[in-house]
Amino acid sequence: MLKLPQSSTDRKHFVIVGALVLITTIVLGFFLLAILPVKAQHSVQAEPIRWLFQLHIWLIAFLFSLVSVFMLYSLFVFRKRKGDESEGEHFEGNTALEIAWTVVPLVLVVIFAFIGIQTLRDATAGGDDVRVEAVGFQWSWTFNYPNGVTAAEMVLPVNKPAEISLRATDVIHSFWVAEWGPKQDLVPGMTTRMKITPTKEGEFKIVCAELCGLSHWSMLATVRVVSEDEYIAWMDQKIAEQNLQTASR
Amino acid sequence: MQLTSLGLVRGLIGYFAGLVIGMATVVIFRLVLGMPAWDEEAVWVGGIIFAIIGFVLAIGAMSDWLKWTRGIETPMHHGPPADKPAWTRYFAVDYNHKVIGIQYGVTGLLLLIIGGSLALVFRAELADSGISFLQAGTYNTFLSMHGWVALAAILLGVGGMANYLVPLMIGAEDMAFPRLNAFAYWINVPAIITLIISMLYGWDSGWTAYPPLSLRGPVGYQMVFFAIFTIGLSSILGSLNLIVTMLMMRPKGMTLFRMPIFCWAILATSLIQLTATQLIGQAFLMLSFERTLGMPFFNPLYNAAGENIGGQPLLFQHLFWFYSHPAVYIFVLPGLGIISELLPVFARKPLFGYRWIALSSLAIALVGFLVWGHHMFTSGYGEYLRVIFMISTLLVAVPTGVKFFSWLGTLWGGRLSFQTPMLFTLGAISVFLIGGLSGPILATTATDLFLHDTYFVVGHFHATIFGGFVFPFFAAIYYWYPKMTGRMYNETLGKLHFWLMTPGFWLMSLAQMTAGTMGMRRRIADYDPALGVEPVHLLVTIAGFVIAFSILLMIYNLFTSAEIGAIAGNNPWRSRSPEWQIPSPVPEHSYARPISVVGEPYDYGLAGSQYIAMSGAGDD
Repeated sequence: MLKLPQSSTDRKHFVIVGALVLITTIVLGFFLLAILPVKAQHSVQAEPIRWLFQLHIWLIAFLFSLVSVFMLYSLFVFRKRKGDESEGEHFEGNTALEIAWTVVPLVLVVIFAFIGIQTLRDATAGGDDVRVEAVGFQWSWTFNYPNGVTAAEMVLPVNKPAEISLRATDVIHSFWVAEWGPKQDLVPGMTTRMKITPTKEGEFKIVCAELCGLSHWSMLATVRVVSEDEYIAWMDQKIAEQNLQTASR
Repeated sequence: MQLTSLGLVRGLIGYFAGLVIGMATVVIFRLVLGMPAWDEEAVWVGGIIFAIIGFVLAIGAMSDWLKWTRGIETPMHHGPPADKPAWTRYFAVDYNHKVIGIQYGVTGLLLLIIGGSLALVFRAELADSGISFLQAGTYNTFLSMHGWVALAAILLGVGGMANYLVPLMIGAEDMAFPRLNAFAYWINVPAIITLIISMLYGWDSGWTAYPPLSLRGPVGYQMVFFAIFTIGLSSILGSLNLIVTMLMMRPKGMTLFRMPIFCWAILATSLIQLTATQLIGQAFLMLSFERTLGMPFFNPLYNAAGENIGGQPLLFQHLFWFYSHPAVYIFVLPGLGIISELLPVFARKPLFGYRWIALSSLAIALVGFLVWGHHMFTSGYGEYLRVIFMISTLLVAVPTGVKFFSWLGTLWGGRLSFQTPMLFTLGAISVFLIGGLSGPILATTATDLFLHDTYFVVGHFHATIFGGFVFPFFAAIYYWYPKMTGRMYNETLGKLHFWLMTPGFWLMSLAQMTAGTMGMRRRIADYDPALGVEPVHLLVTIAGFVIAFSILLMIYNLFTSAEIGAIAGNNPWRSRSPEWQIPSPVPEHSYARPISVVGEPYDYGLAGSQYIAMSGAGDD
């Protein structure tokens, strides 16, 4: 059994705690990454989000370990023994320490602000090779393409930068495809925009992420991400269908 | 004893009389103006306004002031009413801050139970996918009510701690304005009744009440607007009273930096309440005016050319969060003050870095005013604003970190003992750590664009509120219970409460955050089982019920111990704070003689040191 020093300022305490913090950080980091699976992974914009999320997780793991290990260690080592009625050691503070744990976090804040600006730029950048307008209303969606095609589902070609302009006709909604990452509100009286470059073919759910009344939970639509050829074929078919409808009217 | 001799009963009669009179007034007014007599919403609005005033008048919260206008003097009455049992003073207007503090605290606890129960209902619904018993409309109402009831509970709980403790801690006879204090408490009661009546009609926007949604829904919204306006008025008056009390009524020798640290937390909180609450009051009044009178503040309206000649929905969000973000610090700063107050007592050590902790509260309050826009990262406001609010939000981490590290410094080298209040204090630190550390990930805009409006946010803010308010509030209840009642709570039950609630809460937070990263949206009545979040939801629900059960244990403990608990004595915790140097329960006039401060508040372990001196019989 390790013999612990009596004085609270003995260096031995800090060596032990330091080692425990290191071990806990690693274990906790992997644990958190395992229980917090980030669904956003199928767009170019999701990459910086995932990267920053994981960076945060490691910082969280470290800070959580730092505070909780110090705390648990104190609770164990500095607990009152039976029959001991003495008071604790008398020290009222340490200005150097206080300055240190004000300045170091401040530096971290500056670093994270810098990283935050970069990732925000990357997560919102893109192009407008494809344009589509999504209109949200209680409690459904329609999608309009610049060539006049209107559909109840959104179809986008894979790996092509798309600009989605967003419009709400009644109350505020929010456009979100979890697999893509970012979301953007639709505000009556404004047109908002979102840039996305889907990287995986397949069917995903478009959901409304801002409480919009009775059937908010079921305000869903489908987005199909398809190959460029399929996209062109779908568009041609849609145009043909709409021409037919106009002609028969 | 007649039932109507009870103030609360008279108040309720006044409330319903006011409701009828208000409704009739609107009907008559409409008839005179040649409008159709009946308009459900307009009639209710008139009814609610008169009902709230009716309650306050009937219970007598304004009686003294009204007498003053007629030149009648009203000497301050002390002690329980002469002709009624002593307990009745808790159900009537009473000017003693200890009574008002307990009124606030008990009402807060009651609301916490109501708010929690509402959550249990929809947690049961969410335990598996598919709608089983709670239809979407009811779900939305319950969810929205849960938010405001819980927030009202916190505001009243904070008011309870502040009113009971601050005058005691600074050795003051009472608050600076006792009548205003009673008035500020009692306007909460009709507000709460109004808030609960809103469930008759329902409302579905969540506590945030974003327009245009909140401009369209049922009449329930109007009741919420006026209830919150009134509770906000109470916040403003209460904080004014506390600030004046702390600045003007400290005893000889108690400089600001010799106040018990909890007072610093309340000072910072009160400064926020006094200056920010107007914004939400105004925003909710504007919603009410837009609904009732058609004033176009928030809802866009288009002319023939398609230009918006109406309002701006985002304006509301700015007004709302300009209060509601600082409000988070109203909720947590007092709790963080409780942590700082209790740690030295149970560690038998001075508070590490007193001045740093005191000033960090002010720093949090100040920075808290500059961060509201982080709730609006996805709203579509200017791109550059995202950067500004990201940086300001990250800054909150700095003063918060100072608190955590200073707490560790307080524990280090102490003689720690683990009675229930200490356990809840440590639990509070652990839970607030989860809440605090999950903050920056929402502050950096890119990650927030993904996590915004998901269960990750739900996990984050519940951890913040539980760590910053609920756990410290419970610590405070157990800690000052002997001072309030003269008896000790049951330690075994207290520890059982802690060991059920704390792991339960850790599990709940983490599971909520997991659901969020898996794509679970907030505020939905039902979810897609394909998300794979069903087992996670089941865990959250189970944890929620465990927490609820543990709180029932506390209520049972508090009720029974008041009768059968061991006699506590003056100072069971061997605290240096002034309120522990006087008898328990505290007498009507707390301090028989004025106190003076002769040393530092937390000099545990310094031989021969003294914080306060009670002046002797001949000193004054």
